[in-house]
Amino acid sequence: MRTLFFITLLLYAIAVALEFAGTAFKKDKLLRGAWYVFLAAFALHTAFIVARGIVARRLPLSNQFEFACAFAWGVALMLIVMRPRLKSDWLSVIAMPATLLVMVYTSLQPMEIRDLMPALRSAWFGVHIGSAVLSYSAFVIAGSISLRYLLAVKKQSADERTLAQMDYLSYRMVAFGFLFLTVVILSGAIWAEQAWSAFWTWDPKEVWALITWIIYAVYLHLRLRGGRRGAFTAWYLVIAVPVVFFTFAGVNTFMHGLHTYG
Amino acid sequence: MKKVFRYLRSMRFGILLLCLIGVCSVAGTVIPQGREIGWYAQAYRSFHGVILALRLNRVFESWYFIALLVLLCLNLSLCSLLRIHRVVRGAKTEAARAAALPDAVLLRPEGVEKLRARLEDMRCRREEIDGVSVYRKHGFGRYGSFVIHLSILLTVVFGALALYTPTVTDRACMPGEFILLPDGTEIHVLDFRINDETGRLDYQSHVQVTLPDGRRSGIEELRVNHPFSFGGYKLFQQSFGTAGSVTVTALDTGGTDDFLLTEPAFLSADGRTGIYFQTLYPDFIRDPSGNVTLITVTEGSYPNPIYQIEVIADGTFTPSLAEPGKSLELTGLRFDFNAPVEYPGLRIKHVSQLVNGLLVAAFALMIAGLYLAFFLEPVLVKVDAAGYAVGGAKPERMRVELGEDFREYERKEGTQAT
Repeated sequence: MRTLFFITLLLYAIAVALEFAGTAFKKDKLLRGAWYVFLAAFALHTAFIVARGIVARRLPLSNQFEFACAFAWGVALMLIVMRPRLKSDWLSVIAMPATLLVMVYTSLQPMEIRDLMPALRSAWFGVHIGSAVLSYSAFVIAGSISLRYLLAVKKQSADERTLAQMDYLSYRMVAFGFLFLTVVILSGAIWAEQAWSAFWTWDPKEVWALITWIIYAVYLHLRLRGGRRGAFTAWYLVIAVPVVFFTFAGVNTFMHGLHTYG
Repeated sequence: MKKVFRYLRSMRFGILLLCLIGVCSVAGTVIPQGREIGWYAQAYRSFHGVILALRLNRVFESWYFIALLVLLCLNLSLCSLLRIHRVVRGAKTEAARAAALPDAVLLRPEGVEKLRARLEDMRCRREEIDGVSVYRKHGFGRYGSFVIHLSILLTVVFGALALYTPTVTDRACMPGEFILLPDGTEIHVLDFRINDETGRLDYQSHVQVTLPDGRRSGIEELRVNHPFSFGGYKLFQQSFGTAGSVTVTALDTGGTDDFLLTEPAFLSADGRTGIYFQTLYPDFIRDPSGNVTLITVTEGSYPNPIYQIEVIADGTFTPSLAEPGKSLELTGLRFDFNAPVEYPGLRIKHVSQLVNGLLVAAFALMIAGLYLAFFLEPVLVKVDAAGYAVGGAKPERMRVELGEDFREYERKEGTQAT
């Protein structure tokens, strides 16, 4: 199983290298190769998650390794789902490295399979953590699109329509992620009431999920009501990604709370 | 006054409040909350005065944080009222306003036909106004923002009630005994175990509740994630403990007393000779020479427990260890060390199910509002022989989608339509 994981990681790394080379030298063959390697990595990644779930006999989402692995899978999935909808592929060069980055973080976490602790044995487990995977992945993709937008503006390498499409897609990803982050927070509250007797305990993970929610709520207001678009909101979404990573990994690393499951 | 009112209901004020709540929340996670004052003096030295003065040690209970939440509620209330008024008023005239829009995109005739076919495929309702077609769908999507704001308001209000109105008591209870609450309610703990049949950790109690009016619940299983509600009380499996069990027998009369020990205690008949129970260790390792290494932490039930005691006789204190099953005789008393007893710590919450239900309903409303706002956006497209325009409160999605899909049929202004 460990071998499968590291082969997946290696394939993602090869895909990123090919993507960078293809972009730098403007070689379509390399870019196509990068995409096929990325798809192969994703297939192995999926197989690894399924196999781990079968071995553990539960959803493989219970600790930092499993969550990070699913997070990387979510980022890759969103890229795969979105790519055919784009007229030209301007997203892979950012989203592939983002997937690799999360996979590298995953590889640094303890990998052993543990029995699910009693507090995690709940019907809300899949809803709460599955939604977090989708939400964080969507925010990372939104940040990736925004970064690509800023690069395109700087290099003047995209027409107005493509820029508008990037801007709109980043907004759609935030809307998707925001819905699921809300599901994370609300399902977590209901679950917390069952497990710990209170809907809200101001636990660091809860608070940082709320902070992330506020950050994206402000973005949505600025964009939908304030009419802010373009470079301003792109910068905003790029800067918001580290907050998502902190909520996902930083809180568990630097702060102690009820969500510290290892 | 009008200016103040306008500011209180404005988005700018709402965003400011959200940002301030965010900043307070960051402070509340960076600075550990609710510790002893001395701890802050030691940890933050010269800054501790500032922390205490600004109540950063209890941010989430501070007056300014609560004031921010109250102001957010006010902002949401005013904003929601204004929003619903505008949305309802706008809904009545939006088709006519869309029909009056100039074409934003000019299409060749085949493009117009394809666009009409596409909108029909999308099952849009078609309305003919002043010689142009207006296609509409998902009209209720316009209420999404209002529903979200209303649900956030309800969540804050019912959330505050659900957090601060229940009375919560944590009580430990030995199996076979019961907890008597001030109103006369009895909670009987029939048994408790830490591991399930397969040996997996799963804290389980069987409890029965008797209310002051005599009503009695069935025997219910209580586990983590599976609370039990009865008569306005909600019981949670909160914690557990392991108590030492010692039976003391008077050798002359044969009378016995059983003691369950959770903290240090001196067991004696005369107050001078006896054993002083210090603690119970979950496990130990004895090497070949008889030396014992005590293990302080294990998971689940104590696999190999041992009592740490002091034997007190004639003014001398002799540290000793005793395994369950061992006995000790001291001046007319026999001390039998039994297997330890595991007991649950219950959280007893007197709670309004109505408030909890309303809060969960507010959650559901919020999800519905987000879905309406972001995934069922209103479609309002005016189509005439020359091209189309997208109207309504949220035109962006259709503008982008139609712009992409009908790009090939576009024509510039002034060019022939055929």
